[in-house]
Amino acid sequence: MANTLDRLVDQVRENRIWRSIFRSGSGESNLRRSLFVQQNVFLHLFSVKARKRTLEFSATWYLGALTFGTFLILVITGILLMLYYHPSVPQAYADMKDLQFVVSSGVFLRNLHRWSAHAMVFLVFAHMFKVFYRGAYRPPREFNWVIGVVLLLMTLLLSYTGYLLPWDQLAFWAVTVGSNIASAVPVIGAKMRFLMLGGTAVNANALLRFYVLHCVVLPLAAIVFIAIHFWRIRKDGGIYPGESPAEGGAK
Amino acid sequence: MKNKLQALWRLFFGDSARAFGSASAILLVLLAVAPAKNYFSEWRHYQKQYLHLIRGRADAVTLERHFQGGIQQIWIPEQQVTDRCTTCHLGMKEASLADVSSVAFREHPVIPHKLTEFGCTTCHRGQGAATTVEEAHSATEQWEQPLLPAKYIEAGCGQCHLENQTGTPFLNQGRQLIVSYGCTHCHTIKQGDGTYITPDDDPPSLRHIADKTTREWVYAWIKDPQAYAGTATMPNYHLNDDDARDVSAFILAQSMPLEPPLQPVKADTKAPADPAAGTSLYGQSFCASCHAMQNAAGMMVGGNVGPELTGIGTKAKPEWLQDWVANPNHYDPGTMMPHYRFDAAQVATLTGFLESKTEPDFVANVHLDAATPEQIEHGKRLVVENGCASCHEINGIKKPENFAPELSRIGSKPLNQLVFVEGVEHSLPGYVAGKVRNPRAFGPSLKMPQFKFTPQQIDAVTTALLALTDRAQTQPPTMRIASVQQTKYQPAGNAGQLMGDLRCFTCHMINGHGGDMAPDLTWEGTAVQREWLTQFLKNPETLRPALIRRMPKFNLPDAEINTLADYMMTVYQTPEFDRDSLPVSQFTPAQVEQGRQLFYSKFACQSCHIADYKNDKGYIGPALAANGKRFNAAWVYHWLKDPQALRPGTIEPNQHMTDDEARSLTAFLMSLKSGGAQEAMKK
Repeated sequence: MANTLDRLVDQVRENRIWRSIFRSGSGESNLRRSLFVQQNVFLHLFSVKARKRTLEFSATWYLGALTFGTFLILVITGILLMLYYHPSVPQAYADMKDLQFVVSSGVFLRNLHRWSAHAMVFLVFAHMFKVFYRGAYRPPREFNWVIGVVLLLMTLLLSYTGYLLPWDQLAFWAVTVGSNIASAVPVIGAKMRFLMLGGTAVNANALLRFYVLHCVVLPLAAIVFIAIHFWRIRKDGGIYPGESPAEGGAK
Repeated sequence: MKNKLQALWRLFFGDSARAFGSASAILLVLLAVAPAKNYFSEWRHYQKQYLHLIRGRADAVTLERHFQGGIQQIWIPEQQVTDRCTTCHLGMKEASLADVSSVAFREHPVIPHKLTEFGCTTCHRGQGAATTVEEAHSATEQWEQPLLPAKYIEAGCGQCHLENQTGTPFLNQGRQLIVSYGCTHCHTIKQGDGTYITPDDDPPSLRHIADKTTREWVYAWIKDPQAYAGTATMPNYHLNDDDARDVSAFILAQSMPLEPPLQPVKADTKAPADPAAGTSLYGQSFCASCHAMQNAAGMMVGGNVGPELTGIGTKAKPEWLQDWVANPNHYDPGTMMPHYRFDAAQVATLTGFLESKTEPDFVANVHLDAATPEQIEHGKRLVVENGCASCHEINGIKKPENFAPELSRIGSKPLNQLVFVEGVEHSLPGYVAGKVRNPRAFGPSLKMPQFKFTPQQIDAVTTALLALTDRAQTQPPTMRIASVQQTKYQPAGNAGQLMGDLRCFTCHMINGHGGDMAPDLTWEGTAVQREWLTQFLKNPETLRPALIRRMPKFNLPDAEINTLADYMMTVYQTPEFDRDSLPVSQFTPAQVEQGRQLFYSKFACQSCHIADYKNDKGYIGPALAANGKRFNAAWVYHWLKDPQALRPGTIEPNQHMTDDEARSLTAFLMSLKSGGAQEAMKK
């Protein structure tokens, strides 16, 4: 049974179409395996080899991977939500109502997006704590820590810009308060607030601005920084394995 | 037990392949919840119930053909209506379901509007987009406006219909109360068409109050206006004794004597000994058309245009009464009261009669010491604080601007902008009704006084206020049916002055200006014969025997009557036809007879009109026994053809008569030349 399956997989991998797409064929050798990773546009960001220790649950609690997972869920549900949403003052809230009452599984979609967003913020923090307390931020990984901080900010900004889009009272006042906090910055505060809202009050311009930030600018930037983040893991020698094998073993 | 659990764990998560399989299965089940919830949604349940209901009925086939499954929606973008109510309320248009016990599936009561043109939430409120009962009907976390309780439903009509509709008695009453209780002296109400609601309660000026009444009366009145007259519209400010004392001190202190001053009541013109003479003059002058008075049996008799007179002798000083009866313009040039042409004896009789109408109990227990300057000063402060000058003219105090909150959009006020107190239902209707019922319950420092309303009146006022919504302000103007606005029409010349002096416009409307208590006189010159008009002005006969309100006898001299009659006969003519275009001489006896038949049988006019006092009992419309003396034939003919064309809104039905029928009926009516009601009664 297992052999038949392996043979089938091999056949597929040796197939011309597969080869033309992934370039690497079948084979058990390490060379084959590393080629498979290296030659794939997505996988080449990762290390070709990883220490077994770093793949254990206790090493990372998989927090980074889980964060990335929620990000993927957010991208997918976000795109689906965009199909039903108009970033305009008369329509935005009505679209929420449509999602709630008319769109098939609309509530599910919204809830999935919302809870994933909450989970992502939580996981990002947890990931950073884990990295911090394990000391994984130290050289040579210090630059990746900085990238991580940038990604934290992006996560928070995504969360904040998304908050306005339902265009209900909660959203309106949260952004009103938030933008007023921005205006407390000395000298340039008022200008910052104006830039943020595209006006002096939370209105149609602010809604459009937040929509563009939430759906285009921030996700694209986040993807770029995530790519750098992953790539740097490889360049910095893979995931931090711990102080020493002895310490890891003593645990 | 523990072993079993471990075994189970191994079975599902024993190795990575098993764990992956199990986790996938769990994920799949979790994901399946979404479409399942979708499938078992509430509205599908209602649609199934509806199908079950109609399948048991005789006209199941028709009903099933009308039935459309899935979410239904009425979408009217220009009115911002997206109503999915008809998803569950499936029988709205099915006349055969009028008797169904479940409200959800019953036919909508007949209204003059199509549901598809107006939607549901336009009138009923609630959340139109929702497809669950809870969200659609109730106030939820995400939706503040629940369904409007059924008793206020006429508020929905009032958003577009600014005019009175026969189908909305409650709304009309509420609007009338807002106008007649003078709510808009303090509160501004701008309607959707840009017009403002203006009060018509005509609160008296207090600039010469000391000439009219005593401080004791003012004190007792301020303490409780309804104790003096149950019909008083003045609200109760719940002043304590000291405050009432100081306010009355200031009110009297600010008063200035009239110019020229009142004449003392002369001993030789005192009222005659015969008390019946006063009663009789009061009756003849039809004071009761406007003023109410409690009769011996304790019944209130009379109109509500002027104040109640039950205790007038306690309120007004004799010299003021005498002056007022002789010529009200002297004390108040803006009064609605006509200037009767009483001679000195009549003035004395009427003054004596009114003086005898006392309520001594009202001021019996009021003992006030002379006011100190501090008290007067404090009284002035209270008068300013309470906004008395919003309604009354008071020397030295300007009418405050925007004294109370504007109510133009009170019907859409968000609940989070309202302060509720215990005992008031947490809803907009609850708040508005609570405010109208007992404003001071919302805080002792609030200024709004207590109005005397019955529970039914409170609901009516609430209905009228709830009609003042955002929608009423923002909807397209084509949706709006404006109220009839008063024109600024004023007749010119001597006749115009005379009509002003007699206050014709208090009761009659001419060219869109005036009251609605008496017939519209815009085309009176076309309608009536000059001889009848002069006779009527000299001594108004009873035209509508059932009404208490009648045209008063003004005791006009012939010269004034001629001026009025000339003016009316010349100016108040319709351009549509000539009043002499149908000479009576051309009617044949056969036509008269045919008209009589039509009157009594085909059109049954005697249901409402009297052609013959001996036999007919109709009292809804005016008596027609002297029709031939009163009207011009051409008017009668055109009236019969289309009453509403001559007087919009008249209750006379349009019978769609043929020309011949109208002509014969006119011939008959013009042949009725017996005397008026009084003459008939005498016989």
